[in-house]
This record gives sequence, C-alpha cells and structure tokens, in this order.
Amino acid sequence: MHVPDGVIGPDVCAAAGAISLGAVGYSLHKLSGSLADRAVPMTGMMAALVFAGQMVNFPLVGPPVSGHLMGGVLASVVLGPWAGCVAVTLVLLVQCLLFADGGLLALGVNTLNMAVAGALGGYMVYSLLRRLFGEGPRSVVGAAVAAAWISVMAAATLFCGEFWLTYRGGGYDFGRIFTLMVSFHSAIGVGEALITGVVVGFVLAQRPDLVYRSQIRDGIVRGLGRAVLAGVVMSLAVAAFLAPFASSYADGLEAVGTETGFEEKARDTKAAFADYDAIVPGWEKVSVSLSGIIGVAAVFAIALVLGRVTVGRMQPAGPPHAE
Amino acid sequence: MPSSYLDRYARSRSLCHRLPARLKLLLSLAVVLTAALVPARLWPVHGVLAVVVFIGHTLARIPLVYLARRLAFFLPLVLVLSLSVPLAQGFQTGWEIMWGILFRSSVAFLAVVWLVNVLPFDQLLRALARLKVPAVLVAMMAFMYRYSFVLWDELDKMRTARRARSFGRGGRWFAWTTSAQIIGMLLIRSLSRAERIYGAMKSRGWDGRVRTLED
Repeated sequence: MHVPDGVIGPDVCAAAGAISLGAVGYSLHKLSGSLADRAVPMTGMMAALVFAGQMVNFPLVGPPVSGHLMGGVLASVVLGPWAGCVAVTLVLLVQCLLFADGGLLALGVNTLNMAVAGALGGYMVYSLLRRLFGEGPRSVVGAAVAAAWISVMAAATLFCGEFWLTYRGGGYDFGRIFTLMVSFHSAIGVGEALITGVVVGFVLAQRPDLVYRSQIRDGIVRGLGRAVLAGVVMSLAVAAFLAPFASSYADGLEAVGTETGFEEKARDTKAAFADYDAIVPGWEKVSVSLSGIIGVAAVFAIALVLGRVTVGRMQPAGPPHAE
Repeated sequence: MPSSYLDRYARSRSLCHRLPARLKLLLSLAVVLTAALVPARLWPVHGVLAVVVFIGHTLARIPLVYLARRLAFFLPLVLVLSLSVPLAQGFQTGWEIMWGILFRSSVAFLAVVWLVNVLPFDQLLRALARLKVPAVLVAMMAFMYRYSFVLWDELDKMRTARRARSFGRGGRWFAWTTSAQIIGMLLIRSLSRAERIYGAMKSRGWDGRVRTLED
C-alpha cells in the first residue's frame, strides 16, 4: 500500500504533494481553533494507536499470510475528519522517516491516497451513510464498514491513476493495471472493513462517548458529501466489481491483444459469450450491470449484517473500564 | 518492541553522526530526489548514486548485515508492486520499467535508512521544525513517537494475556474478532490515557507550544 520512491514520477508526486499539503494544512487549520492544545495529545495518541494497531496480525488464508489494519476510517470515525486526516498523515510521516516505509518524495502521493482520500474521503462517505441509515449504533458500525471498504478502493484507484500519469507516454494500458489493482484491493478492503467494523462496534459498546459526534461545524463535509459522494461511491463500487468482467470483454483489450498474443484467449471468451448473445440480445451488458448492482448491494448487506452482529454481541459488561 | 531495529545505530559515533542535522536531512532528500528525477535510461547516474549511498553507510559504520536485513523486508513489497508492470503491460517493455523501479526505489530506501541511522529522532524533529514544518505537526510527531513505545508494550501485554488463554484454538472468525477487540481495547485505553496526559499537561501550563531545554 505504501508507495516507495521511484515508482511514481516526480511531477505526479509534486502535484499529489500540493493537493495533500492543501488538505492537511486545512485540517491543521481546522484543528487549531479553540481546541488546539488538546489536539496535540489526542491526535498524537491516535496516530500512535494506528501505528501500534498495524502490528496486530489478522490471519488470512494460511499462517504466513496475514493482513493488518490501515486505520484511516477508524481514526476519523473516532476523532473526526480533520484530526483523523492529520493522524494518518503523522503515521505516514513517521513510517517514512523511521521505517523508510513509503518514500520521502512519494510522501505526498501516500498522503493523498491514504490520509486525504482514506481519512477525509472515508469520513465523507461515513457521514453520508450515517444520514442514510439513521442514528444509532448499528448505523455507525455499518457506515464505518462501508466507508472503510470504499476508502481502500479509493486509494487503489488513486494509485492506478498516479501510475498511469507517470507512464502515460509508454503506451501503458490503464485498464489492465486498474483491473489488477482493484480486484486485488477489493479483497483487502473487505479485511479492512471487517476490522474497522469490529473495532468501532467494540468501542461503541464500551465507551460510546469516544466516537466523534459530528457537529454543525463540519457542514462543509456534509454539503460536499451529499453532492459529490453518492455518485463517486456508486461508480467506484460498480467499477470495482466490474473490473474483472470489463477487462475480458472490453474493446480495449482486443487492441492490445494483437500485440501481446492475447487475442487467442480473447477470441475464446468472445465465442463463449456469443451464444448467450444469441439467446438473449444484449445479455452481456445486462449481466455486467447486474453484477455491479449485486456487488454494491452485497457490500451494503455485509455492512448492515456486521453492524447488527457486532453491536448485538458486545453489550457493555458493567461499567466502562476506567483505565 | 522493535525499537533497536528502527534506528539501531542512531546514537553511535562516526563522521556522519557529527554532521549538522539539517545538512543530513537535505543530503538524503537530495539523493532521493535525484533517484526519482533522473530517468532510468541514464543508468550511470543511478550507479554513482548507489555508490554514494554505499559510501555513506560505510562512513557511518552501519554493518552490511543490517542493511541486508532491512532490504529483505523492503524488497518483496516493491517486487510485488513492480511485477504488476510486466504482468499488465507485456514482458518486453515491462521488464525494463520493473528493474528501473526496483533499483531506484532501493537506492532511495537506503538513503532514508542512512538518515534514520545517523540522526536520532528528536534531532530530526528539531531539524524539521527549523525547516519550517508547522510546530503543531512536530509536537504531534514527538508525542506519537513517545507513546508508540508505550502502546507497543501495552499491546504486547494484551497479546500475552490472549495467548495465556489458549488463543488460536477457535475458528477464524473468533481470531479476527479477538484481534479487532484488542485494537478496540487499546484504543479505549490509549484515548483515556491521552485525556489524563492532557489534564496533566494543562495543569503544568501547556498552551500548545513545545518547549525543550535547548530553546
């Protein structure tokens, strides 16, 4: 997930850096109001928590393969969008400077992908979904789950865009790298969404006061969110589930196929689906959009179910922990 | 807690350790910039850069074994990332781009490893502050650095407690929820801790500005 130096071109890095500098600067400005002195320990601690939380392994297929939390949506659900964005930026800064995890020059790219799109954008999705689902613990968990998944997808999509911008001269095929990255990350995103959901559910059950309550102040986020995000969310989710299909049917592949010897395969797939085309005219398009809709519905169903399961199971056992 | 793993040689003594902090920060930034800016077909520049980085590590007396170990954790990640190029683009031009990415990112990575190992983190923060990085951000980074170690230790304790209760016998869903609950518990504890610390700082006159003995 962390882009090292030398992968993304310096011009793209500079542009991404300028955008993230603006966004993080604005977040810092938002934080430095009346609560400036409180923001330092709270945000610093949250960043340390995300840092430490990444050490917890989640077993995947086998013992050696495991995933971990990325934490952008978690941070902004707990601390609010501005502090969340700054917290993730801090994590990236320290990871870059101490671990050399993620490049120094690519810091702007990483910040854009994970702090600006991950935490700020994730919070926009989260607050929008909370409005849709209504108030209540289930809607908080459900919205956090969906936002976490979408934030990972957004980061992957942004990375593809940056990659494409870097190698745009060399006849680079955006469709293929997009397919590869997005189908890979839709699985990673499910992990991130599950972890975020369980953590948020746990915190809600134990200390509901810790979860950030949006005030009138973040009207900007909501206004922007309502206008832009419905479209972005839908198109991203659809794109994610469509990518595997789109790549094997789209015309783009045929053009590249003649150069790389893909045309044999492509013709086979075409032939296989020609039958369906004969039976139901326009079947291809219907099936593609159907699977897109099913995909989006599935994510939201998972979100709602997880919200129900985690909140139902974790009733507060007595008074909340003091320490 | 892998504290010694990160910046193990930061406090040792050598020519490189005596250089001024800002110079070292700017030097490694320059190496990273050159590695990223110069196109891959000008390979002699990258060769020279690799030699410069190697000399830097030798002068700082950082053992090769340590560098090899750091690279062993770094390279697989970049390899996966760069392998996607030949996979996605076809193998003729793809390989070239892939080797370019691998070499340049390794050089940049080693330059940052050098920086971390010749410059203790507190001095790095001070250098950043003098390079006009916002004071709030530097204060937060200092806070984060200080408390990551505390949280790591706390996490370790919770993991030990979990192991002591035969973790690993349940199903995968159980493993996942327990791990996520550990993060949730850590979150609750650390935010309460941050509130206590904030109270303590406030009562000692904290106004949002970090003051050190050197100021």
